[in-house]
Amino acid sequence: MADHGYQYDVVVVGSGPGGYVAAIRAAQLGLKTAIVERENLGGVCLNWGCIPTKALIHNAEILEELHNAADYGFSFDNLKVDFGKAVKRSRDIVSRQTKGVGFLMKKNKIEVIEGHGVFVDSHTLQVTPSEFKPEAKEQRITAANFIIATGARARSLPGTQIDGDRIIQYRDAIVLKEVPKKLIVVGSGAIGMEFSYVYSTYGAEVTVVEMLDQILPLEDAEVAAEVQKVFSKRGVTMLTSTRTEKVEIGADGVTVTVKNVKTDEVQTLTADKVLMAIGVQPNTDSLGLDAAGVKVEKRGFIEIDEVMRTNVPHIYAIGDCTGKLALAHVASAMAIVAAETIAGAPTLPIPADRYIFMPRATYCDPQVASLGYTEAQAKEKGFEVKVGKFPFMPNGKAQALNAKVGFVKIIADAKYGEILGAHLVGPGVTELLPELSLAQMMEITPAEIARNVHAHPTLSEVLMEAAHAVEGHPIHM
Amino acid sequence: MATVVRMPQMGESVVEGTILRWLKQPGERVAKLEPLLTISTDKIDTELPAPVDGVLLEIAVPEGATVRAGTVIATIGAVGERVAPATPPSVAAPAVTAPVTTSSAAAPAAPTRDTRPTGRAFISPVVARMSAEHGVDLAQVPGTGLGGRITRKDLEAYLANVRREVAEGEEGAAVAAPEPLPQLDAEDVLEPLSTMRRAIAQHMVLSKRTSPHVTTICEADMTAVVRHREANKRTFTRNGATLTYTAYFIAAAVAALRAVPEVNSRFTDAGIVRHARMHIGVAVALPDGLLVPVIRNADELSLAGIARALNDLVNRARDGLLKPDEIRGGTFTITNHGTGGSLIATPIINQPQSAILGVGAIVKRPVVRSSSASLLPSADDAIVIRPMVYLSLTFDHRVLDGAQADRFLTAVKEQLENWEN
Ligand SMILES: Cc1cc2nc3c(=O)[nH]c(=O)nc-3n(C[C@H](O)[C@H](O)[C@H](O)COP(=O)(O)OP(=O)(O)OC[C@H]3O[C@@H](n4cnc5c(N)ncnc54)[C@H](O)[C@@H]3O)c2cc1C
Repeated sequence: MADHGYQYDVVVVGSGPGGYVAAIRAAQLGLKTAIVERENLGGVCLNWGCIPTKALIHNAEILEELHNAADYGFSFDNLKVDFGKAVKRSRDIVSRQTKGVGFLMKKNKIEVIEGHGVFVDSHTLQVTPSEFKPEAKEQRITAANFIIATGARARSLPGTQIDGDRIIQYRDAIVLKEVPKKLIVVGSGAIGMEFSYVYSTYGAEVTVVEMLDQILPLEDAEVAAEVQKVFSKRGVTMLTSTRTEKVEIGADGVTVTVKNVKTDEVQTLTADKVLMAIGVQPNTDSLGLDAAGVKVEKRGFIEIDEVMRTNVPHIYAIGDCTGKLALAHVASAMAIVAAETIAGAPTLPIPADRYIFMPRATYCDPQVASLGYTEAQAKEKGFEVKVGKFPFMPNGKAQALNAKVGFVKIIADAKYGEILGAHLVGPGVTELLPELSLAQMMEITPAEIARNVHAHPTLSEVLMEAAHAVEGHPIHM
Repeated sequence: MATVVRMPQMGESVVEGTILRWLKQPGERVAKLEPLLTISTDKIDTELPAPVDGVLLEIAVPEGATVRAGTVIATIGAVGERVAPATPPSVAAPAVTAPVTTSSAAAPAAPTRDTRPTGRAFISPVVARMSAEHGVDLAQVPGTGLGGRITRKDLEAYLANVRREVAEGEEGAAVAAPEPLPQLDAEDVLEPLSTMRRAIAQHMVLSKRTSPHVTTICEADMTAVVRHREANKRTFTRNGATLTYTAYFIAAAVAALRAVPEVNSRFTDAGIVRHARMHIGVAVALPDGLLVPVIRNADELSLAGIARALNDLVNRARDGLLKPDEIRGGTFTITNHGTGGSLIATPIINQPQSAILGVGAIVKRPVVRSSSASLLPSADDAIVIRPMVYLSLTFDHRVLDGAQADRFLTAVKEQLENWEN
């Protein structure tokens, strides 16, 4: 890079799936790069989020199969379930994964700087020891460009303090010593539903409290209804249109007062623990953004343009701290655009209206995967839509897997066939989404998907049938 | 510091250019003024030289793409330099309709789009359906997707642009909303528009829409000119030039412009611009269209000078070797349609000029000569055979009125009829 007199071409703050990917891409493009991290490499995703939850969920899936063992002709009467082992397995995976990130940093000659970073001006970051890295060296580093990837943390209800014991958040829930007898989960987004799945399968009596009128409020209403059916059967209580009014810690548990916003009916629930899963707030408050001159919106998220540039032209922001779509792969996609822009390499900017078409996934059982508009949103946007829906039930592979629920629903523009939304619920659907997201990006329509031959028997045939259904002629119906 | 290379403006009315061939590839060294690429505009194919010494860092617009003048098409930097990050080169997508990028080196620039040439780009089913419905020629639509792929949004933006241009009635409407593909009968062929054909179409429509055209016609007796030419053409040939009648018409027009300077002008909303210099465009027919090279400062040239300049321009126009400067900046145009046998024509004004002189074929005709001033038959009347020519002046009635036009045409006629030396 041209001689600019700073120590680095790029310094990345935060090493989650946004930050570490940005650092790698920048280094690949020949930029002198450092990454600053106050905890372990890998961010929320590797340490507390995506990866450990998926490990616990797989445990839960196996346990659920064991509960259904009779269906397969297995019987036993001495099943022992060790939850501690499940948590340990997930932590082992985490430590392997974060080591992997460390290896990638080394391989790409990216300097890893431990400690908490705070801007003192728009080209200088002050690094100080942090709670996780008390040994970190106090130092000032300068860079021509910065990429802020500081992520987000759990939010609580106003007036409710997360104490890590009775009132917990995901960081606590991912490493619980034992399964609580009764668990209340406030919020029914992906995180709330995944933990509800794990703990209910492991035997907890779970109540989910959701303010909006459906669980998984971001998902298509039909998908949410399908998940609700399965969770009800599992014994999970789901209170929708219900606001959490008060959370009080007592001697041997918590009391949660909730109110149905439609009927005004008030209920008092008791549990051993309450998990706050109502969303995140950005880590932008102790970062010295004022000193750097970087603008944030009123909730604290950093404002960016389609190449991730903030109002300060040499400072970029990516991932959860920008409040776009708080998912790991979104952070990584943003990371690549930011790094390429800094290096002046060709890139593909991400306009604000593209985020809705990025894949979304919830890994509870049944799995949920989606992209684009829900049917209701598409109509609201004024599209004339064609909807094709096909259930997993008749699919041979699904039956072999003992999967009985779910469907694939594709929403297309009636005129030109463009995919406006895809909503999948059922077995392994998170792995089926890429065909649809690629089609959406390349503006391939259900007509081509239907003619694309899908191997038999696979779950993906359901996707093909849903595409046929958009065209009005599913085969196996 | 990297230097950006922009698509030059190759002529007053030339707003875009097509990249024909990159003569250097990224990573290659270039020397200042060494040919970097060839481009094609509606008027001309030409080589563009590198503006500085250095290394070609990046090609931003692939071969075959058409972009507006001013669009960044490449970046040249020092050996070992990469595209400077704090001020990444502003590289717009190949955009016929995109605004001209104006960001300076100091301002943060637009992102570098991935426009790597991919040959024939993938046309998505959605775009295919949409373009078929609207009858859009996709070659005209700039793509912003990976590798320059045209997305639905690009097509929508293009259509919106076309609609706006049509609504505003500005230049460019001729590119606009092509009708759906015409129905072809069994043996019909649809020949795609060449860049030149498309440009001619645009300019003609534009001119007709811009100027109220009026044509005035007179005839001139060419005896004096023919005699002069017969006497002098051999000397000219010996000196390596051909003395054509067109040279006489140019010389006569120059004299007439001197006599009626209002004709050497251009209409603008702010007022009428009267040109001090006389740069005379001469229409040259080519196998696939038409070019109008310009004889600059024709008022400073003798007949011999005009003939020589004309020879040179016409030859190079036919060989495709004109430089951009040689086809722009005309203040008045002459078209000698008579070379094809035509007697009278009413040409279209070459915008933004105010008038165009049409010259028909010189033919021997019987004409009446008389020493009597009366229009009544007289014993002094005689029918003689003379080489005659029809002259037409098509003028912009916003700028000129009939009186000035006729004065001009009369001046041309007198110049020709009284040719001496
Ligand atoms: C329980 C749970 C499950 C999830 N499951 C999924 C999933 O299955 N799929 C999915 O796509 N997403 C999932 N997510 C979301 C995903 O984890 C986030 O979207 C992703 O981690 C965001 O990446 P990021 O790089 O923006 O930030 P983070 O991953 O949050 O990384 C930010 C990093 O910056 C560091 N940092 C912050 N401030 C500073 C500072 N001032 N100085 C130095 N370092 C700093 C932090 O310590 C942190 O390591 C899940 C989240 C949770 C909580």
